[in-house]
Amino acid sequence: MINDKYANKIVDIIQNFARKSSLWVVAYGTGCGAIEIPPTMTSRYDAERFGIRGSATPRQADVLLITGYLSTKTLKRVIRTYEQMQDPKYVIGFGSCTINGGMYWDSYNTIKALDQYLPVDVFINGCMPRPEAVISGFIKLQELIKEGKANGAQKYKENLEWYRENQRKVIKNWKMPDYNW
Amino acid sequence: MREKETTLYLGPQHPGVTGNMMVKLKVAGDTVVKAETHVGYLHRAFEKLMEVRSWMQCFPIVCRICVPEPDPNEENLARAVEEIEGREVPERAKYIRVMVLELARMASILLWMGGQSGSAGLYTMPQWSVGDRDYILDLFEELTGGRVYHMYIWPGGVRRDLPEGFEDRVLKTLDYLESRLPDYDHLMFENAIFQKRAKGVGVIPKEKALEWGVVGPPLRGCGIKHDVRIDEPYEVYDKLDFIVPTYEGGDVWARAMVRRQEFEQSISIIRQVIEKMPKGDYYNKVPNPFNWIVPPGEAYVKTESVRGEFGYYVVSDGSLKPRRIHVRGAAYVHGVSLLEKILVGANIADVSFIMNSLGVCPPEIER
Amino acid sequence: MNLEKENKFAKQINETFHSAVVKVQRERRIIVELRSDLIPPFLSFAKEYLSFIHMAHYSCVDWLEENKFELVFMLWSYEEDVMLIVKTKIDREKPEFVTIKHLWPQAETYEREIHEMYGVDFKGNDRLGEFILEDWDDLPPMRRDFDTVKYAGEHYFTRPGREDAQDVRETIARHSGEEIPDFAKKYSIRRDEE
Repeated sequence: MINDKYANKIVDIIQNFARKSSLWVVAYGTGCGAIEIPPTMTSRYDAERFGIRGSATPRQADVLLITGYLSTKTLKRVIRTYEQMQDPKYVIGFGSCTINGGMYWDSYNTIKALDQYLPVDVFINGCMPRPEAVISGFIKLQELIKEGKANGAQKYKENLEWYRENQRKVIKNWKMPDYNW
Repeated sequence: MREKETTLYLGPQHPGVTGNMMVKLKVAGDTVVKAETHVGYLHRAFEKLMEVRSWMQCFPIVCRICVPEPDPNEENLARAVEEIEGREVPERAKYIRVMVLELARMASILLWMGGQSGSAGLYTMPQWSVGDRDYILDLFEELTGGRVYHMYIWPGGVRRDLPEGFEDRVLKTLDYLESRLPDYDHLMFENAIFQKRAKGVGVIPKEKALEWGVVGPPLRGCGIKHDVRIDEPYEVYDKLDFIVPTYEGGDVWARAMVRRQEFEQSISIIRQVIEKMPKGDYYNKVPNPFNWIVPPGEAYVKTESVRGEFGYYVVSDGSLKPRRIHVRGAAYVHGVSLLEKILVGANIADVSFIMNSLGVCPPEIER
Repeated sequence: MNLEKENKFAKQINETFHSAVVKVQRERRIIVELRSDLIPPFLSFAKEYLSFIHMAHYSCVDWLEENKFELVFMLWSYEEDVMLIVKTKIDREKPEFVTIKHLWPQAETYEREIHEMYGVDFKGNDRLGEFILEDWDDLPPMRRDFDTVKYAGEHYFTRPGREDAQDVRETIARHSGEEIPDFAKKYSIRRDEE
């Protein structure tokens, strides 16, 4: 076991460098922003040159991309998906509707602020954000990871009670397994 | 021996499912015995929101109902309001609208090519076709300011005139896309693996198709020639020369070939539009949108979107806000009742393949 | 405008269903208003004898002032290229209707949606229940007396800073003294008033 504080720091730097350079995104198009993901991932914008690529299952993924508004029905599935993901994990809120409801500010079925329910590391605004904006959001996330500041998952664990309370407020029928890691 | 039945939840977090929806399957071994569509994950209550918005505020909302091809929505709402009000549209605006609609159809077909071949495991195709789709999105961006959502068609015409030299750039893009078609053929439509996967899968029985409410390419893939552009010509489609491709079989392959030929027809339509487009106004006077009262009345209008008949039922009670706007998405029938019927007997691996070929688009099912 | 085939259909409908109020709205559109108990026989008549084989749409409108729901059926005839819009009003307090899924299987989906959004009970449709919403315990949301702004305000956290997004007209009125820059005047909608 390494106890030296300099050694620890070096390990952190290497770890963060490795994490930042391979961000695998869960393939879950939760909202209409999912339409800008194919152009981002394919030949023109080619996000793979930044180490960003899709992953079919949440258990092998690092980034949960919330592409737009979340209806309460989807929020339940998204929480489940997020809790299935393994550390390190990050959340990107994509589109204006994750920030303040966007044009659905008075809809009875969508949540208005994503960070009340899940810890968001980076928001990308716009309706909808261009692929360039998506990539710049990812680069911002990479910078945060490199500096060790993208600690949303840590925040979620520490404030689980608060998040749970908010989540239970909008999800009426709470039938979910406990979050235990 | 009867095999044990298992329940399999396909989605909502599943890379093959077209959008955020779920299909609950009962499978015996590898074969689907019963399918049940679960939707509602994308319900944003658009129809309710439009009842509390002014007429003009509805236009940014409607284009978000169908993400891959938003323009038929704007076209429908604009045409419905024009019908209730008796508002005239200048000839030039009608041509521009047809051009926008056909460009949107081409962009949507390119996206479908990517999805359809991607769900068959052919991952090169999305790289090509989605990349080429961006050339069309660039044209949209120049014309309307938005890549995906345009909010361009409004009552009385269109929002802006064509920029200088825009026609040339459209023609250049069309030439490029046409030159790409042989490549697409080699990679996808003439590909033996794709043909083997697509032929005889997801068959819609021809004699039931009309009764089941099948529209658009799935209907034409059954060999039945019906298209809103021919049956009830809107804008200037009656002045243009194009054929409605049909194909026999009713399977995924037939639907793919219909879309493939529609792509060529769209190219030809846009070329005719640019040739015939008159000079003149691009919109009639729009009333003050903050105090815009549409007289009482109702209208059902429809447009041929890439997935089929896209209808809007609009009721006005003579106030500042619409009384009721009900959207008939083409996928409403395809994605729920039809999908549940034709998935029975299919292989699990073909489920998302069939969904892609029907063009199931959940945001227009639940809105 | 040639309304020959529309008038022919209107005549045929009037001959069979005397109580039907038939109106030719425009070319290719016929509106029929009927008593609600006559709707199922009328629809099968339209499908079997008048060639209206395609059920394009099935909608519901809430007329809160009259205390009625209006069910609207859109049928399309591929042979004659005519749309038949069939309308009927049902009681709003205890909304009930019969299913028409034996005529068109896709009607089942529409009925599920109308049941969920308006609370109309369709006799004979066994798949009513949760369709789009999940665990909904308020009024059916598409009813006119359900206030979506109030519901959203009560149930969801709203980030401060959106106050002036409430009604655009008020916002504009507040800024009415605003000068429109010259370059924008050409495109300004307000030029109509001048």
